[in-house]
Amino acid sequence: MTTDPQQQQMIREAMKAIAERRPGRSKLVYDKTKRTIVAVTEGSQTPRALNITAEDADMFAVATLSSRWLSDRWGIIMRDRVLPVHFSCWDDGDALTQCDLGALPASSIAEGVILLGEGTPQPTATNLRVVLRSGKAPVSEGSTFVAPDGSIHHAVTLRQIDGSEKTLDTDFVDLQPELAIRRATLLETQVLKDKAAVLVGVGTGGAHAAIELAKCGVGRFDLIDPDRLTVGNIVRHPGGISQVGRFKVQVVCDLIHEKNPDAKVTIHPVAVSAENLETIRPLIAAADVVICGTDGRPSKLLVNRLCVEENVVAIYGGAFRRAFGGQVLRVRPKTSPCHECFVAAMPEESTNVEISSQAAADAVAYSDRPVAVEPGLSLDVLPIANMVTKLALMELLVDTTSTLGILKADYAAPWYLWLNRPEPGTQYADLPPMSESSDEMTINRWYGVDLARDQDCPVCGDFISSIAASYGLDAKAFGNLPSLPTKE
Amino acid sequence: MWSDDQRRRLYLENEALHLEGFTQFTVYWYRSNDTYEASGNTSSSSGKLYTLQIPIPNGFPQQRPPMYLTYPFPLYTASGNFVSSLGTSHDMHTLTPSSAGQVQICHWRDDRWHSAIMLHKVFLKGLLWIEAYEQHLATGRPLAEFVSTMKERI
Repeated sequence: MTTDPQQQQMIREAMKAIAERRPGRSKLVYDKTKRTIVAVTEGSQTPRALNITAEDADMFAVATLSSRWLSDRWGIIMRDRVLPVHFSCWDDGDALTQCDLGALPASSIAEGVILLGEGTPQPTATNLRVVLRSGKAPVSEGSTFVAPDGSIHHAVTLRQIDGSEKTLDTDFVDLQPELAIRRATLLETQVLKDKAAVLVGVGTGGAHAAIELAKCGVGRFDLIDPDRLTVGNIVRHPGGISQVGRFKVQVVCDLIHEKNPDAKVTIHPVAVSAENLETIRPLIAAADVVICGTDGRPSKLLVNRLCVEENVVAIYGGAFRRAFGGQVLRVRPKTSPCHECFVAAMPEESTNVEISSQAAADAVAYSDRPVAVEPGLSLDVLPIANMVTKLALMELLVDTTSTLGILKADYAAPWYLWLNRPEPGTQYADLPPMSESSDEMTINRWYGVDLARDQDCPVCGDFISSIAASYGLDAKAFGNLPSLPTKE
Repeated sequence: MWSDDQRRRLYLENEALHLEGFTQFTVYWYRSNDTYEASGNTSSSSGKLYTLQIPIPNGFPQQRPPMYLTYPFPLYTASGNFVSSLGTSHDMHTLTPSSAGQVQICHWRDDRWHSAIMLHKVFLKGLLWIEAYEQHLATGRPLAEFVSTMKERI
């Protein structure tokens, strides 16, 4: 480090000049002999030095704004010539991101203004300003803004820090086109943006599925879950420690908007129960797919009934105990087995659920025989959530010529089994090692299993006729709703 | 409130109860508030009288119906305590008592219930519980020693 005061002064001036993107009396170079950065007088010859450009030194902050937001307010700024704007201030001011871009602002907010033209007087208390300078030719830089009236502007963001004004890179972003273009080659984004998914249960698996669907461009969500995010959830749930205490539906709503800001999300912090069945029914009737990620059977049976009655495809995903594996059931009403058919056909699998919360433990515990909460690892739940998401996507795109269409035969089975490990004490304890088997069942593979519908199912079949016939009764007479013995 | 399917199912349940020989139990409709209940008085093998009551929940048959033992009331353990004071007890095969303190018999847990289970099967479990209860009174041993427990994954 130099102790020469003149050299120190030159370095300071040169750095300021670079920061402000203006020519200075001195410039910075890398002196290959001294192997350090030095300041030299602008114009001097430095044969053993490497010139340092502003780009080389580009460690300055960047301000990101929404072009659509500004377009929507163009009339206001044309009238007032000044427009307040708020930025999330990240990483000690290294990134200023307009709050309106996303759902989750930073803990530190910087207030600023957008000024139309250099000479516009600014509010005195403001130390952050985005100046829109009128331009002529379209420039394809991020700092260029094309207004709704066709006028072109180049933005410069200036921020007062420690008494001096620093220039920040400015970047206008147009969210939806930039997001959509990343998915467009594989997914029919124009179709998905109008599709509606209902998620019953937004714990680890349900939340992950919701966020993945949002990334894919699904545009409408109804989230149903009565639980709040707890500290115990954090090692699994996409919501973070700063969200503890919020309803999970609210947390996931924000995470969806962080991935798909145009998504229409409605939250319902309630449990599905017989008491609110008719409130839930219209949500399900309006859905293109329902994803049920609850642990408890009662809610699954009620969701199953609603989905069959409203003819909406439902996908049930769940982890086994301690997430040693998991299963996914897709129900196409009246076409494939419903959840009640599955319960009848596979009683053991249908009761093998993860005890991931105290409520789930309480549901199977007795006061004299408590049950421990034993959640599995997030990484063991996510394969199941991914499968749920993929099946949901295929249902949402079923009537399109999607690239996913080539998977139709691969995902023809209604029930899928996944194993994370050969859990001792289960029928999967003695699986051969994955690396040694190509045709036997192993861990880390999906198995699609065909199941037949139960024609006498109480929900999707004709249970009443079947049972009535077994008693020699004529179920047709039941159609008149015969009366029962009455009590007042 | 009740769908036609639910009403038809409840009619079928009543028919099945009687055709299966559980004639001491009947499905009733409460006209005043349009609710349903299956109930009846029954005797144990020792001749003691009991009353079993199953209020039909709105979500039936997807929702598990609770079964309460409403007579004798209160019900005592062999050691002289209220059975209802045990709450959800594995040893006594009971669940949370009613708000009036009536014992709820654990017939199926929620995680085992499904819509194809019919009420005569529920009452059958109630009758078995009563027999086991009398064995408990006679021996002082936990009721769970006299009835098998469904395979539990806990």
